[in-house]
Amino acid sequence: MPAGLIVLVVAVLATTLVGLHRRRSDGRMRSGSGEPTLSRADLGAEPGARATLLQFSSAFCQPCRATRAVLAEVATLVPGVEHVEVDAESRLELVRRLGIIRTPTVLVLDPAGRELRRVSGVPRRDAVLATLAELT
Amino acid sequence: MSAPPFRFSRALSSPASLDPVDPRGARLAAALTSLVLAAVLVAAPAGWATALLAAQTVVFGWGAARGAAATPYAVLFRRLVRPRLAPVEPEDPRPPRFAQAVGLSFSAVGLLALASGARLLGLVAVGAALSAALLNAAFGLCLGCECYLLLARARHRRTARSTGPGVAPR
Repeated sequence: MPAGLIVLVVAVLATTLVGLHRRRSDGRMRSGSGEPTLSRADLGAEPGARATLLQFSSAFCQPCRATRAVLAEVATLVPGVEHVEVDAESRLELVRRLGIIRTPTVLVLDPAGRELRRVSGVPRRDAVLATLAELT
Repeated sequence: MSAPPFRFSRALSSPASLDPVDPRGARLAAALTSLVLAAVLVAAPAGWATALLAAQTVVFGWGAARGAAATPYAVLFRRLVRPRLAPVEPEDPRPPRFAQAVGLSFSAVGLLALASGARLLGLVAVGAALSAALLNAAFGLCLGCECYLLLARARHRRTARSTGPGVAPR
């Protein structure tokens, strides 16, 4: 079998695996570290009385825009929930400390700033609402 | 006072058009690119395969310099496909342009390798370009956007190392 064909098959397989994995994990709420993540000073904004939806975004990231729309809607629907958006590129020390590797990544924080849930990729509005109902 | 850090976002916002583009055009371009690169892989190291790769490399270069909307694939989309489709919210043109630059680097390496007889290296580089294009075409993933933060983190680490402990962090 010519080498080029082997490379082609490997490339297609690898792409399919990565694509399917990403499709599965995108938007899925995962357990957070439970660790205190951010002080009010770190956050640069008032934390929510019930929860804070901390969104890490970066430049020209279209899914970040979609995420912003979802979380803004959730913040208006649920009292006591604040949506805080952070530009990952300008807070790289925070990004590294929290282990953020892609955007959008959203951390669901409790009023004390502890990380309860984490989701990367665009979260679904109902999933966020359900998580907030479950946690708070 | 140290110079402002290099930002990819700034580099990509150069004179080339910042007009929002139809995202479906970028995906069609990625699909056609995947076909071209697959053909190169199947037919390598035949002369015409290398020539095709050279043509694709030029297309990538053009797209990286002028924006993805300037590539022949995008022109094809606008002339033939888009008139038949309902209009859709246009998107930031910079990610597709970055994707072209990523494609350019891989295919340029592949081209040089194939042309100089380093066949396996050439095939692997073309395979990587194909994977990136296919991820975009089939799954809508923008590889450049995905790597953007990782790249920024890597640069930050290097900058942080070069500044000593006595220097105030940015």
